[in-house]
Amino acid sequence: MRKLLALLVAAVFAVPLYVAVVNVFKDGPLIAKSPASLPIPPTLANIQAALGRPDRLFWVSLTNSVIVTALSIAILTVLSAMLGHYIARTRSRWTRALTLLLLSGLMIPPQVILMPITQVLRALGLMSTVPGLVLFNVGYYVPFGVFVFTGFIRAIPVELEESAALDGATRMQTFWRIVFPLMRPATASVLIFLGVWIWNDFIDPLIILGPSQGTTVTTGIYRSIGQYQVDFGAMFAMMFLATLPVLLFFLALQKHFVKGLTGGATKG
Amino acid sequence: MGEGGRLSMSEADLPRRTRRPEIGRRVWHFLSFGGPGTAAYACFVLAPILISLGYSLTNYNPFRGDTDFVGLANYRVLLTDEEFLTSLKVTTILTAIVVIVPNALGLAVAVLLDRRGWVFNALRTVFFVPVVLSSVVVSVIWTRLLDNDGLINQALRGLGVDEPPGWLSDPDYALYSLGGILSWQMLGFCVVIYLAGLQHVPQELIEAASIDGAGPFRRFWRITWPLLAPALTINTVILLISAFKIFDHVQIITRGGPGTGTTATIAYNVLQTGFIANRQGFASAMAIIMLIIIAAASAIVLKLLQRREVDL
Repeated sequence: MRKLLALLVAAVFAVPLYVAVVNVFKDGPLIAKSPASLPIPPTLANIQAALGRPDRLFWVSLTNSVIVTALSIAILTVLSAMLGHYIARTRSRWTRALTLLLLSGLMIPPQVILMPITQVLRALGLMSTVPGLVLFNVGYYVPFGVFVFTGFIRAIPVELEESAALDGATRMQTFWRIVFPLMRPATASVLIFLGVWIWNDFIDPLIILGPSQGTTVTTGIYRSIGQYQVDFGAMFAMMFLATLPVLLFFLALQKHFVKGLTGGATKG
Repeated sequence: MGEGGRLSMSEADLPRRTRRPEIGRRVWHFLSFGGPGTAAYACFVLAPILISLGYSLTNYNPFRGDTDFVGLANYRVLLTDEEFLTSLKVTTILTAIVVIVPNALGLAVAVLLDRRGWVFNALRTVFFVPVVLSSVVVSVIWTRLLDNDGLINQALRGLGVDEPPGWLSDPDYALYSLGGILSWQMLGFCVVIYLAGLQHVPQELIEAASIDGAGPFRRFWRITWPLLAPALTINTVILLISAFKIFDHVQIITRGGPGTGTTATIAYNVLQTGFIANRQGFASAMAIIMLIIIAAASAIVLKLLQRREVDL
């Protein structure tokens, strides 16, 4: 009974997902006429159309998204793990102020900072460039990383580090050889969440990379819907292809995802 | 830890020459570990906020040479600006929908799915998928579904409704359609948080209550619901913060319309004014007001909900 009801509710909920998938494999006219029908016979024409666009929109976007996301999360992990360690292991008025400043960054909407950001990046000569977007991502998402790592490091006994220091290891060595390997779950959380967020990000690449300079997968899709004759089949195909990596990533790491999300929800 | 205190006590006995390097070492510790992260945050978040604050006191426009200091004039104009007040109203309605609907439905779905077995596990995944989808993808899918001739209206016509509503083209419906789309996307997040909360409700308490003759509704209301307080806090604060900065869906689905500003949120207006009209001084004032509201609202909600947690 409960199973039946649950299945029914989930089926209704999943209608948009179903529509998004079946239309990838249907011919253009059929998409408009009967969006919900099964794709019989299925066609790969839409996927070929999306992949074979003369402006290579999909490939360019995919390359940019991969580079931006990979660089951003790699740098973010290193910087926020170290900053998180500093905050967790130092007690002073200055650290408390720093923590408060960083925590307030968790709720700052990008709209508040994007206008000056364009000036800052222009001054650095990085406006409309991939490194500019990566740097912005690092600054904007560092509070989240620090938040996750600080909480985790507090749970690691400090004695471990003290004994390493007695053995003559420098702070840096202790951190990278002993502490960092212990933080794998926190690192996983940071990589997963920031990876998905940055991959899906729309407004920041739209403003920072600009409409014509380069697109990520999200701004690429946006650009393809802005054109006059929208080929819905190709658009659905492009959305499907752009979502596939993040979806597979999620399905593979689902357990970590949920664990990372619910860490604070239960307060054991 | 008290480590700092102990150190400075013994430092007092040491001659000056060794104390200096100690301070230097602390600064070095910060610079080597915290420096890069703090610098990035300062450059790309803190400094821009201060610059925005500065802009908001001027009539800055990047494509016009003369920038004047105008004091609080932008703020004064905003307080009576029709467009801005409408966007405040739109944002408030949208935020209310997005805070209430996914919270309530998410709780219902979580209670429904709170069973073991692969069917329930698979269904949890289904509900969570929209959370990892890009808002661009979600927006495009729903734009097709809610189109005047889209799937939803095709179905309604099939059921005998002659003139189904223009979900996105009718000013009376568009904002609520947007709220519905956002709720659909956020629902899975709430489900996961509530499911985690439900797992921590002690089964013995529920059993004891049912032996004492409490029915399922009473048991839920008196035991389960109060114990879900931390989950409610997290969901509400996260939904509040994300609802308040909704931009993507508005930009892609409605572009602030239909009509004038019927779905234009503050976040949308800030970027329109700043990057399309290039009135960045004015837009910065809007952004600063937005920041103040979001900070105040989340602080108040957090305080209220956490008090409820402590009271248990």
